[in-house]
Amino acid sequence: MEKFENAVEVLKNNLADAIVECRVPKPRKAYILLKPERHREAISLLLKHVEDAELSTISGTDLGNEIELNYHMACGGTVTLKNRVSREKPVTRTITDILPGANLYEREVFDLLGVTFEGHPNLERLMLPENWPKGDYPLRRDWKPNANQEGESNSEEASQTESAAELDDAGSVISVVMGPQHPLLHEPERFTFKVDGETVVDAEMRLGYVHRGIEKAAERMMYFQDVFLVERICGICNAAHTTCFCQAVEDIGNIETPPRALYLRTIIHELNRVHSHLLLLGVAGHLLGFEALFQHVWRDREPIMDIVERITGNRLMSGFNAIGGVRRDITPNTVEKALKSVEEVRKRAKFYKVVFEEDATLRLRTEGVGVLSKSDALKLCVEGPVARGSGIDVDVRKEDPYAAYGEIPFNVICYKDGDTWARLMVRAEEVVESLDIIDYALGNLPAGRLRVRVQRKQPEGEAVSRVEAPRGELIHYVKSDGTAYPYRVKVRSPTLANLVAFPEIIRGAYIADIPAVIGSFDPCFSCTDRMVFLDTQNGRRWRWSLDEVNNSKNRNVVS
Amino acid sequence: MALDLIFFARVLVFPGFLFLLVLVLFFDWLERKIAARFQNRMGPSYTGPFGILQPIADYIKLFSKEDITPKQTNKLLFVAAPLLAFSLFVFALFFIPIDGSNVVLYSSFEGDLILVLLLVTLANFGIFLSGWASLNPYSEIGATRVLTQFLGYDIPLIILAICPAFLAKSLSIVNITASQTLPFALLIPWSCVLFVIALQAELEKDPFDIPHAETEIVGGYETEYSGRKLAFIKLSEDFQFLIGAALVTVLFLGGAHGPVLFGMPELWHIFWFMVKTIGVVFILEYVGNVSARLRIDQVVHGNWKLLIPLSILSLALTVIVEPLLRSVIG
Repeated sequence: MEKFENAVEVLKNNLADAIVECRVPKPRKAYILLKPERHREAISLLLKHVEDAELSTISGTDLGNEIELNYHMACGGTVTLKNRVSREKPVTRTITDILPGANLYEREVFDLLGVTFEGHPNLERLMLPENWPKGDYPLRRDWKPNANQEGESNSEEASQTESAAELDDAGSVISVVMGPQHPLLHEPERFTFKVDGETVVDAEMRLGYVHRGIEKAAERMMYFQDVFLVERICGICNAAHTTCFCQAVEDIGNIETPPRALYLRTIIHELNRVHSHLLLLGVAGHLLGFEALFQHVWRDREPIMDIVERITGNRLMSGFNAIGGVRRDITPNTVEKALKSVEEVRKRAKFYKVVFEEDATLRLRTEGVGVLSKSDALKLCVEGPVARGSGIDVDVRKEDPYAAYGEIPFNVICYKDGDTWARLMVRAEEVVESLDIIDYALGNLPAGRLRVRVQRKQPEGEAVSRVEAPRGELIHYVKSDGTAYPYRVKVRSPTLANLVAFPEIIRGAYIADIPAVIGSFDPCFSCTDRMVFLDTQNGRRWRWSLDEVNNSKNRNVVS
Repeated sequence: MALDLIFFARVLVFPGFLFLLVLVLFFDWLERKIAARFQNRMGPSYTGPFGILQPIADYIKLFSKEDITPKQTNKLLFVAAPLLAFSLFVFALFFIPIDGSNVVLYSSFEGDLILVLLLVTLANFGIFLSGWASLNPYSEIGATRVLTQFLGYDIPLIILAICPAFLAKSLSIVNITASQTLPFALLIPWSCVLFVIALQAELEKDPFDIPHAETEIVGGYETEYSGRKLAFIKLSEDFQFLIGAALVTVLFLGGAHGPVLFGMPELWHIFWFMVKTIGVVFILEYVGNVSARLRIDQVVHGNWKLLIPLSILSLALTVIVEPLLRSVIG
């Protein structure tokens, strides 16, 4: 909290001439409108004066005649620095030279809102397909999905030749493409590795294979409907997304959530974390060729799923949070059953911690592999267990407590090694920590109402909301124009923050380290790719009919 | 004529081709079942009693599937390599005395141990060629890994196979088996343990299943294969597994020899051979299931810096203690 106030003070004192407006409507949330092109100074100042300051994300909003770029800086709370550029000529200076971690965020804004960042090292498409028409920016307010669908076609061929050229191999270096379909990945993204023998020389990634246009769709639905939409961004951390979105709307509407609801949210949120971490530990076993570990961990994850089902009615998609509270109560009987399961899982979780600590083959494969130093981690703005594995003590639950976390005692797990092993150990220990939180919350459930009535219309305003999702800091930015529909919803999932670091640390590693490192990042691509609108009816330009697929197969293959 | 009938019956039915095939399928099932129980799963359970027919069903499915040859590949190699590997493995198995004598009667000769090891080596080159002919980055990396790993573990494997031969004063597998009144595993346990470790690598089982690490290089050398050719690759892998387990049995565990209680000695031979081989399979699977996959550089280091010196040491040790042991063997 001190850190946050310090940050605002620093800005006020040193940049008084650049600040047009400064609002601190809620504790640990500041919105500062800067004069154009002053954002670089502000960010440099924060990086210099605030310890462990990171960029959470950049969100762009189309205001009609201007595009507002919000630089959400995480420093104890969130300081949102606003920089406005004109809509006709949307050009601004990059911050990647100050903060390399902004790379993907700037590309994202460039891709979806058409803002050019001068000085960016490779300002290319991030989310949209290569054959998306130029000058079409889906997140601008006047963009309609159907109007622009008849652009120039057959870019399928163009993108194919492009990828063929990419793969032109020289000398002993060959390109190994992993994804969009590859056993390494459980969701479609493409990684191209340049490989010399067994050593990775370079890595590139291409995101955007699972776009569903959720940010755009959210603008067309009412707030209470959006809760169910954001839930579908990601199955594993659905409670994190709904909690985050509900908090943002409650922030805008000044809604007081009853304490019992906050505790129930916390419980579901932590159950999500436990099952997500167990899932990842199992997947890590699978990625490292330790099938037995994989199967055992996943079986021990089942009791958690059973509790979630008992409380919410669903194993995965809880549908539990609502604006102003939660939708279902928990009975004493369920509490008793849940406590028993938690005890059971705790025993196993402690055992797995020992496995990861002591198994010789696991340690051989993970220790010293994919090291991310603390200074690099700060520069690249990584989040969550990845940051904590590199010795950065960040946890939104501690530094910016939400829901019931302010009242629940728990420790932030932090390892200094920065390697794959440390990142996995952070998760193994967090499982036990989360189980303690659930234990405490179940034992100290306050009585009272479940939710308050909320109007469909929300007052004009904006809110940044942060939660600690299983993979790291999740941030939602919601802007309201006084109607029942949000003006803008921006979601930044932790995986996008962490992916920046992946190509950096995989260079020079072995091919066999790729799964280990990817696993330790716990990527969730459905979270990462969420915002592009792909109309399945009109999107046929880049989809092949069955006949075409058959023909192309015959072209390339003889049987 | 009578001799010919016995010859054909032995080669084609028992203990030749048909029997070996059934045996291989049985071990395939056993392997899967053991792995499944280690992983807290059921394993095959629907096809036949306890799912024992599952491997047959799988091979029938593979044999009936579309067989694709990618356009750019070297077609001759691509087709021939899996067949070559398969037939070499089957041929090698013909020299393992399953019911006390070789498949072809009286075909055992002084030096057939070397022949079997040579055939296994050649068959592994066949596997390498199958990956190399595929012209796929995953296959190429997989094939390179087969060779890299192979160069490391084949040498210690052969050195260690010499230890029992030295004790038996014979290079013929039948003689080695026959001279084990006490299993060599008890006399020279150090060689036996090292042999099993080298074998684990030879069979590409965890922690040495690097050539087909699926999360890195998909199917490794077999990525491009499908249908019948894939079935032959899978079959040769299964045959290799049987040969590996059988080699431990005949070299260190006394092979088909064991107490004959009643009835036909041949049946007892088969029985003891099976019991011992299943024991070896269990050990191999156990090791495979409690370890993560190592990295190729770690395996190469381990092989050249650890396993080869150790195997030479163990051969030396065997030579030194041989006079002592001789009194035990009698």
